[in-house]
Amino acid sequence: MPDLPELNPVIHGKLRLALLSLLSSVEEAEFTWLRSKTGSTDGNLGAQLLKLEEAGYVGVEKKFVQRKPQTLYRMTESGREALTEYVQALKQLLGSAINA
Amino acid sequence: MTDQVAEELKDRLSLIESMIAEGRRTTESWGWTFVLWGVAYYIAIASSAFGHSTMAWPVTMIAAAVLSGVIASRTASRHPETTTGRAMMAIWLGMGISVFIVMLSLGFSGRADLHIAVAIIGAMLGSANATSSFILKWKLQFACALVWWTTAAISCFLSETQAGIVFLAAIFFCQIVFGIYCMIAESRKLKARGEGQGASHA
Repeated sequence: MPDLPELNPVIHGKLRLALLSLLSSVEEAEFTWLRSKTGSTDGNLGAQLLKLEEAGYVGVEKKFVQRKPQTLYRMTESGREALTEYVQALKQLLGSAINA
Repeated sequence: MTDQVAEELKDRLSLIESMIAEGRRTTESWGWTFVLWGVAYYIAIASSAFGHSTMAWPVTMIAAAVLSGVIASRTASRHPETTTGRAMMAIWLGMGISVFIVMLSLGFSGRADLHIAVAIIGAMLGSANATSSFILKWKLQFACALVWWTTAAISCFLSETQAGIVFLAAIFFCQIVFGIYCMIAESRKLKARGEGQGASHA
């Protein structure tokens, strides 16, 4: 039996996984949009986005639009690679579960 | 591997799929622009018919462009930027600038007549609608493109009055009716989808 892959713990968190998946389908997204799509609280969302940012999976840009602060997030190239690897590992694990 | 772990992995996989689909479904609401520009065309036509022929179109078009920009900038921050959204913006902005430059030049050179105006505007709107419909895979918008192309072609053969009537009808169906239909469809989609979904735990 081949060695089963480890799942990336940074991505494996449910909210972090949802955030990376959302960001993989758009160029950039605002904090409020991510909050509405995930149904998360401000505090939890901010904390999870910070973890993704520290891991280098998400880039952040803060700016003012019509005098209102806006925080924009976008997925980095390493974030995209990590998500792809995570999905492959997930499929491999599920495959092994079916064949067991 | 236990069944519980396998279920959790399946959950993760379906979460990825649903979130990616959710992000892709995010298209900005642009139905109002069709209505706004349709009304702007009617105002420009009415103004030029009542004597202010040289300045009627440029003034109305600039006013409509400014109004579109203001409304779009107020709603844009609510939506994430997508490649599709940027492609749409590029198509319509490019079409708008092209029509504006040509029509303004024709107006000031005194070489504009209704046939040429309808042919140019119809061809450009047909092109923009068709390109947009190919990207969005939207047959109804392609039908609008066909109406505009037909309007552009037949305006070359009709009398000035007939070309004007065809142009007014095309604006009504492809701008006003299509725009209102888009707005209703967008609001139904929003209601059906609702806001705020799971995945709130790390």
